[in-house]
Amino acid sequence: MSAFERTLLIAARELAAERRRPDGLVAALTFTGVLVIMESLAFGPGQAHQPGIASALFWIAVLFAATLVVTRSFDRELEDDAIDAILVLEGGREALYAGKLVAIAIVLAIVETAAAALSLLLLDLDVALVGHLALVGVLGILALPPVVVLTTLLALRIRARVALVPILSFPILIPQVVACTQGAAAALTGDAATSLGWAGIVAAFALVYGVLGLTIVPAAIE
Amino acid sequence: MIESTAAPFPTIRVRPWLGVLAIGSSLIATFMALVWAPTDAVQGDVYRIIFVHVPLAWLAYLAFFVVFVGSLGWLWTRRPWFDALAVASAEVGVLFTGMFIIAGSIWAKPTWGVWWTWDPRLVTTAIMFMMYIGYLLLRSLSTDFAQRATRAAVVGVIAVVDIPIVHLSVLWMNSLHQLPTVLRAGGSPALDAAMGAALGVSVLAFSLVYLWFVAERMSIELARQDRMLEARA
Repeated sequence: MSAFERTLLIAARELAAERRRPDGLVAALTFTGVLVIMESLAFGPGQAHQPGIASALFWIAVLFAATLVVTRSFDRELEDDAIDAILVLEGGREALYAGKLVAIAIVLAIVETAAAALSLLLLDLDVALVGHLALVGVLGILALPPVVVLTTLLALRIRARVALVPILSFPILIPQVVACTQGAAAALTGDAATSLGWAGIVAAFALVYGVLGLTIVPAAIE
Repeated sequence: MIESTAAPFPTIRVRPWLGVLAIGSSLIATFMALVWAPTDAVQGDVYRIIFVHVPLAWLAYLAFFVVFVGSLGWLWTRRPWFDALAVASAEVGVLFTGMFIIAGSIWAKPTWGVWWTWDPRLVTTAIMFMMYIGYLLLRSLSTDFAQRATRAAVVGVIAVVDIPIVHLSVLWMNSLHQLPTVLRAGGSPALDAAMGAALGVSVLAFSLVYLWFVAERMSIELARQDRMLEARA
């Protein structure tokens, strides 16, 4: 079996588990919805309506959702020690990492679409460049999971994993969140060149941390 | 396989001398910074915090680079010595970075009028500080020696790769921070000769303190590693 096939197998297994018991997806959707509403109310509708603030609130909510989805995904692996069988396979570690990334990006796409619809509706946002906004959105869900999955693997089987993962991953993810926020805000205001520039940065981060994760994961898991 | 750390370690011989040198040079640096260096024409005596702030800045970055080297060494060779180097440098680095931020804040209030500003250099330093607190937290929560060393080493590598990236990402913000004073592109240092000499001695003294602390901390860590490996055997 090739590395690509192993990756697809892990991703399909992850999505099947999520379909059977969608508690990660449901929790992330609910949490994101609550967060968008709470943050918007905290700022006040007038403030939260501004493209820069609306984008920042949205991407912070997506970041929390990504952490929630990844944590739930690995909780499932640990419940019956299913992860051990994957880790002993040849190429299992890389396949676990890449497969999780693919599956989590798909789950996160659903969460992000729902959160975007909620933000656009509640904050009455005008989108000047729909295509650019979608591009930043797609790149964002590719850029955030590599770091969260990697730090979750590092904190695997540690008691305080739920607290440790955000502590380790959020400082590393600051550039990605800044770039996604700026790119989305530029798309809302109609600044195509700026939006594409930030989208390029998000894509570079997705690539760098994706490759770095694949390189370092075999050494990271004992 | 993980080797024992029982072999003689060179820092055992140099540690007392490092301590003597560190304390002696610190006393000289204190005298030069507070008495010998002249008062600044613009900032008055407030500028003297530069003799603490700049050495701490240099050592904060050096310490985390050493963590990176120790982390790579562990991942490459699995020799516990490298892990001891990484944890020692990380702890001293966190201490010095915390002091660096506090010293910068104390200097910022009379010169900029605020304790803190969202300047790229300040933000990068604060993020670096948080990353290494996370590094130490990860270490403290892992119980198995090899797992702890490996997990921490991965964070040690990622964190140092991330620092220049984070710095670049926040450069779009306007900077209040002054340009480099000593290492300026195409020019001599923008410091009076006496001030420059006092700064040089301060950097040397703080560097010796860093080496001393790291050597002491390493010896504690190596002894702890030996106990853990003996208990496991």
